[in-house]
This record gives sequence, C-alpha cells and structure tokens, in this order.
Amino acid sequence: MRLYLFAISLLLFTSCGKDDKDEASLFPKLPDYFPSPVYPLNENPITQDGFVLGKDLFNDPLLSSDNSVACSNCHVKAVAFTDPQHALSLGVNERSGIRNAPPIVNMAFMKEFMWDGGVVHLDFVPPNAIENPLEMDEKMAHVVAKLNRHSSYPGRFKKVFPTMDTITSPLLLKALAQFQLMLVSQASKYDKVRQGKSEFTATEARGYETYKQKCASCHTEPLFSNQQFFNNGLDTQFADEGRARITESALDLGKFKVPSLRNVVITAPYMHDGRFKDLNAVLEHYNNGVKYSATLAAQLQSGAKPGIALSVSEKADLIAFLSTLTDYELISDPRF
Amino acid sequence: MKSIIKLFTLLTLVTFFSCDKDEPATTGSMEVEFDNIAIVNGIQQQLTMATPGSATYGYTNSLGQKFNINLLRYYISAIELEATDGKVYKDVLEATASGTKGYYLIDESKPASQVIELANLPSGKYNKITFTVGVDSTGVLNGATGGALDPATSKMFWNWNSGYIALKFEGQSDASNGGVSGAETITADNAKGMAYHIGGWKNIPGTAFVYNNKRISFDFDTDAIVDAKSSPHVHMTFDVLGLFNGHHKVDFTGNHNVHKPSDGVDIAHNMEESFSFDHIHQ
Ligand code: HEC
Ligand code: HEC
Repeated sequence: MRLYLFAISLLLFTSCGKDDKDEASLFPKLPDYFPSPVYPLNENPITQDGFVLGKDLFNDPLLSSDNSVACSNCHVKAVAFTDPQHALSLGVNERSGIRNAPPIVNMAFMKEFMWDGGVVHLDFVPPNAIENPLEMDEKMAHVVAKLNRHSSYPGRFKKVFPTMDTITSPLLLKALAQFQLMLVSQASKYDKVRQGKSEFTATEARGYETYKQKCASCHTEPLFSNQQFFNNGLDTQFADEGRARITESALDLGKFKVPSLRNVVITAPYMHDGRFKDLNAVLEHYNNGVKYSATLAAQLQSGAKPGIALSVSEKADLIAFLSTLTDYELISDPRF
Repeated sequence: MKSIIKLFTLLTLVTFFSCDKDEPATTGSMEVEFDNIAIVNGIQQQLTMATPGSATYGYTNSLGQKFNINLLRYYISAIELEATDGKVYKDVLEATASGTKGYYLIDESKPASQVIELANLPSGKYNKITFTVGVDSTGVLNGATGGALDPATSKMFWNWNSGYIALKFEGQSDASNGGVSGAETITADNAKGMAYHIGGWKNIPGTAFVYNNKRISFDFDTDAIVDAKSSPHVHMTFDVLGLFNGHHKVDFTGNHNVHKPSDGVDIAHNMEESFSFDHIHQ
C-alpha cells in the first residue's frame, strides 16, 4: 500500500510537467553554521556566463557618465571589495561622496543595504551608485543604451538571458547581482577553526572570548553583524542622520547598520564616514571615546561611563582575533 | 484503509485540478480606460499639458494659485473584476526581470498606455472593479523587474529608499518658489517648478514608512457583459485638479517638492478621491 501511495505522489510531482531545468547554481556550498541566503537565488540562478558577465560589468567604467569610474574603483578586490584609501568615496571628476564605501562580501545574506538600510534588495543597490552625481553620475537608461550599442555585451547578455530582445536595466542588475552574490566570505581562519581544521593561538582564543562578551551582541556570528541599526556613540550632533534619514524617526537618529567584522583588518578606514584610520583607533573609541546621546545603544551604557571598557591586553587580544576573520582565499581567488 | 482511499481520491482530484490547462468554456475581453481630465466648475474637460518651462497657466487650485502640468504618470495594478454572480476575476500579477503582468503605467503623454486590455476574461456580467494605484510589496521585493516596472524606462523608482512612485506629477505654478530637485521635466533653476512624487508601500507606525498606495473600488451603473462576441469598454476618469483641490487644499507655496512617502500623505488621500467610474460602452 505504501508503495502505491509513493507512486501516486511521484505522479503528482511530475504530472504538471513544468520542466525546471534546475541549473546547478554556482553559488558555493555553505558551512552548516551559515544562515540561508536572503537573496532569492531561484529567481536569478547564478550561471558561469552570468557571473563572468557581472564581473566584467562590475569592473567596467562604461557604467559611469564619463567612462572613468567602475564599481571596482570604490570596491577593490584586494581589500574585500571596499575602498582602501578614501574615508568618503570618490566619484567622477574626483567628487567626494558622503559615506565610506563598505566591503561587498556576504551580500547574499543581507536583508537591507547601505549604512542606513534604505535599499531592500541587492538588485536595487547599483542604481544608487550609477545615478548618484557624486559617484558615477549616469542615468540607468543611458547605461542601458551604451550596453546595447557595445560590440560584445548584447551577445553576452543574450547568452545569459536567452529570452531577451535587448539589454534592459533589470538584466544589467541581475548580472551585477550574480557577481556580487558569489563573493561569499567563509574561508577565514575563524571558519577553519569552527570547522575543526585549524586552531586559535592563545591570544586569538582570548580575543574570541572578549569579542563574545563585549562585541557579539551587535557584530553577531557568523556574519559578524546582526543586521540591525545602532548608535555606537560617535557623535552627539548627527551631520548624517543615518537610519533616521529613512525612517524620519527621532529614535533612529545617528543609528547605522552594524557592519560585518569579517575581513575587518584589511577594510580600513572605519565607520560610516571612514573617520578611524586603524583598529586601535576603533577600540580606543569603544574604550574611551563613546559619546552619550538620546539614541546611544543600551549595550554601551552598562558601565559607569558610556562605552566598553577594554584593557591594553584585551585590545591586543581582540585585534589578534579580528585578524583571524580575513579571508585570504576570497581576495586571491582568480575567479573574482 | 478507508482513510487511505479517501486520501487517494483527494490526491487524484488534486492532480486533476492542478494541471487543468483547459480554458473556461468561453472567454472574452474588456478594455479599461483611464482618462485623465480636469474638472473645472463642475465640468469635465480634456487635460491640456504644457511644455516644460512654459509660464502659461491654464489651471487654478482652490487657493487661487495658477498652475500648469508637464508630466502625469501613475501605476494601476492588481485589477479585480466582480461578476453579478459573485465570482471574482483577478488579473494575473507577475514581476520578473524579463517582464511584468498586471502592472500598468498610465502616462498622459502616451495615449496607448491609458487603455488597459484585459484578455481571456471568463464570460460573465461584471459590475464592479477594484484596483490599486501604485505598486505593492510583491512588485518591489522581487528585485529588479522589467516591463512596466523597469526602473530605467518607467523612471518611477526611488533608489535611496527602495520603492515605486505611485503617481508622478510635475508642472509649474506662479505661486511656487522653485528649487525643485530630482524632477524629470523641471530643472533645478526653474523658479516656479513643482514636483509631486507620491508613493510608499510599507506601513510601519511611528516611522516615515507610510502606505500611500490606494486600493479603490467602483460599482458600475450597468453590467459590463463579456463573452466571445462582446468586449465592453469601461471608462474611468482621473481628475488631476482633484490632487490639489480635494479633501486637502494644497498650497503651492513651500510644499511643492515632494519626494518621499511622509510628504505625500495628503496628496495620496486626494488622489484616491480623484478617480471616478464614468460609463461603459457595451
Ligand atoms: C564612488 C564610489 C562608489 C562606486 C563607484 C560604487 N560604490 Fe557601491 N558603495 C559606495 C558607498 C559610499 C556605499 C555606501 C552608501 C550608503 O551607505 O549610503 C556603497 C554601498 C554599496 C553596497 C551596499 C553594501 C552594504 O553592505 O550595504 C553595494 C552592494 C555596492 N555598493 C555595490 C556597488 C556596485 C555594484 C557598484 C557599481 C554599479 C558600486 N557599488 C559603485 C561607493 C561606491
Ligand atoms: C551596540 C552595538 C555594537 C557593539 C556592542 C559593538 N559595535 Fe562595533 N559597530 C556598531 C555600529 C552600529 C557600527 C557602525 C557605526 C557607524 O559607522 O556609524 C560599528 C562599527 C564597528 C567597526 C567599524 C567597521 C567598519 O567596517 O567600518 C569596528 C571595527 C567595530 N565596530 C568593532 C567593534 C568591536 C571590536 C566591538 C566590541 C569591543 C564592537 N564593535 C561593539 C555597533 C556595535
């Protein structure tokens, strides 16, 4: 009888004949302690051609008004796809932006994007750079026209999206997403330790304990961000309103999305405006620089004065631990 | 055992229905026209658009401020028709990179865009229409979308705060003191420009995530009879002056540069009340 039922369910399963081609997505296998991707990968299955197309678009200054600035100008591979130099991003004609370019890794797991979380889907991030006069200063429609006139892009898009007639903006955005989705950081020393393939040194292990006690409530494993918005006490007056720019709520003034600490050793300068040049400055901020304001995170108000007390040795241990979060495989992977 | 037989019957039934590719016995089509008009002194007039930059003002708001219109564009989506027997036809909604179904961008500068063709409608007598002005969450959360929702061609997308503008109005008024940013037809140096970009698809109390899309229903005065032979034409109107002269009297001095959900609440309310059902051609 059971077999009979099984046969029926099989029938049920196949009877509608909706032949999913089930393209083996290139998206990497994840360690078991990783969350599942937020990005709907089934709606934009990553193919080899699509990923390489996205990579070439990411590196192509054609996406900017004067063909001078590519995504990769501000998101540099060697430093986990962030900007190694500029506190505030630098766009066409050396125009200075208003925020620090964040690293682009583990985007597949993010619910919201940008320091203020105003963007709710990875597909919708690039138009912000492309159409921002301080960044690439272009119009989406114009980029699409340039791509359609290009000698090789139309054929390459057609290969990735066989049903298309001409290149359109959603296809450009899906291709860019395919490349960015592949930038999964999961092969740092920290990951190897979690997978039992390596061991922390004594200093790293102490740093991990300090991190778990003092930082993990916001910079939560395994992405090292809980993806929420907090004011970590940088200012009392907020030139950049942060999350409140989107919600217009006084309760969100000066709150920014908690950045991931993966690869943090190589992603200086730090904070939404790149104000700190190195990790010592960041740790000294938490130890002794946190400023009180109405929206300051409660976690930073548990002691006698605002902040997180860190001794000299705790700081050294923390930096040793944070160094284990660098994913050298990612930044040296020839595919990227 | 009995329950297994029941299950079997159920499964067979499910298989049967889930793969049913047959169309209903007969189908027909219907056209729904969105006619943008101006109601002046109670009289419907065809809309007169001005060329961008023109200082000729053909309209007056209820505060006596003169203005003209350069651009008018809005989304209609999720159309439902109700038949006299209570059956409801739901227009298919689909948003993917290769195109959309069920999202219609009505553009005053493109007459063809103002007539929505609903094909493959089950035959019946329809007496009620419901639609959304704007694009709800499913249209946003699928990511980059083509067709009517293509951000590059529609120019109806807010990049910095992801979401579609439900209605875009741009024009000029002698009462405006200019300084409009982010408009299509109004340049930044236009001293009389106005831009009203109305939208908002989330609803989170206490924040600027206000829901400004509107779900609107109208009963028809006569039945729209759809069958293989007859395809009725439903004539809806949208009174553009109602955007400013409705429930909320809009002052063009100092409130003429609307680019975010929280600033558009009053006009969204007026917008809702500016649609009307006019008549049906059978
Ligand atoms: C001129 C420098 C610059 C260029 C060029 C640039 N970006 Fe960015 N990028 C930034 C900055 C600055 C931010 C943060 C913006 C904010 O928070 O408002 C950012 C944010 C992002 C984010 C969100 C990261 C996160 O954690 O939320 C992604 C993804 C991204 N950019 C991808 C791209 C892509 C794809 C391109 C090319 C189409 C691009 N960027 C071009 C500077 C740049
Ligand atoms: C209350 C939540 C919270 C706690 C606890 C917290 N952080 Fe942060 N952290 C943030 C936020 C929010 C930012 C971004 C602030 C900004 O840019 O305005 C940030 C930024 C950082 C940055 C800069 C990252 C970058 O890419 O710019 C580093 C490094 C950092 N934190 C390390 C730590 C360490 C180490 C600890 C523990 C000692 C810690 N944080 C504790 C919320 C927190």
